[in-house]
Amino acid sequence: MSLPKKYKNTFLPSEVEFQAEDQPILIIPRYALKDRQLIGTSIPVLKPMKRAEVPLWLGFILKQQDRCNIVTPSWLSINFLKKAYQEEVTYTTRFFRMPWNWLEISKMILDKASDDMTEPPHQIRALIQDLREVRLIKARRGLKELNESYMQLDNLSLMEINELRPMVVGVMDQLRKLQVGTNEDEEVSDEEGPLSYDI
Amino acid sequence: MGYYDLDEILADGQKIPCRFTISVPGLGYLENNPGKPVIQNTKLDLPLWLAEILAICEIQSEQNDPKEDPDQPTYFIELIQPDFYSSKIINAIKTNALKIDLHQLLPYFYKLSVKWGSMFNDTELMAIVQEMFKQRACAINDYSSDNNHLQLLNSEFGLQLDETERMLFRQCIESHRDLKTWLSS
Repeated sequence: MSLPKKYKNTFLPSEVEFQAEDQPILIIPRYALKDRQLIGTSIPVLKPMKRAEVPLWLGFILKQQDRCNIVTPSWLSINFLKKAYQEEVTYTTRFFRMPWNWLEISKMILDKASDDMTEPPHQIRALIQDLREVRLIKARRGLKELNESYMQLDNLSLMEINELRPMVVGVMDQLRKLQVGTNEDEEVSDEEGPLSYDI
Repeated sequence: MGYYDLDEILADGQKIPCRFTISVPGLGYLENNPGKPVIQNTKLDLPLWLAEILAICEIQSEQNDPKEDPDQPTYFIELIQPDFYSSKIINAIKTNALKIDLHQLLPYFYKLSVKWGSMFNDTELMAIVQEMFKQRACAINDYSSDNNHLQLLNSEFGLQLDETERMLFRQCIESHRDLKTWLSS
């Protein structure tokens, strides 16, 4: 495909967001809706005022049409985020376990359903921002340990990995090339793999 | 890396010093001496793509028996350690990798290092180069976030980047910028 190289090697944030829209979320419907079977997923029967779990994208459509309220996930609360921030600051060598899509989901909920939140959205937004920054700094520190063959960043979420990917992959690839004695293998893999990460 | 990679071609054109082990008639134009031979032990800068072949290509001559003449060189040229791997530079790298002006030293330092490493299997040198790249890459990544990249472009370090590092820098900026745009959209 004649896509620019950067689209081949990594995801755009909007694409990561799109993936996150498949995550389930609790909603409180205001109207009844029959259950239906979709390709790959199914939507349960929605009864007014009865909590149901649907994919995020459906939740937002219904929310837009004023047919439901979105229940904020438990981790998107001031208490939880403050605790997470504390943990991040306390333990400098590891990341606090956040949901795999926490950045994307929190942004979508804050953007599209902030009136359903029980706590002030601006505080949550600030906490998310703080958390992101402290994790970014930590990840950056971790990058000093890069080597040509192995890298482990436990509990880092998809969006954060995606942000670091071009850098990490580029550096690791270059280090691999600089490793003595690996160049023969590399020639072969470059010809075979159209997905090889060139820098 | 690939056949059509311009950087690759430019890196291959980088001249490295070498010494002729035999006299070659008619090659004098290489040292601005057209029509004359290149004499044995002449030192010349040849592009890497040529030097590499000449350094590994064995000379075969029909009248010569190796037993008769053990001093007969088997290769056209010998590669001499180039300036950019001199101990002065290596020591400077070890002292502070961030202060090396790679762009002035050699714009394709890493690409050439890869080739050099595979030709000579110089583990020690490659370890130093790897360490240097790692340190510089971290600095590049730090600069590329938080709007710092304009600072880097204007700073001394920004002008001292090797071409590979520039590419990396561009990718880092794009990635950080994409995420930022998305976050504020």
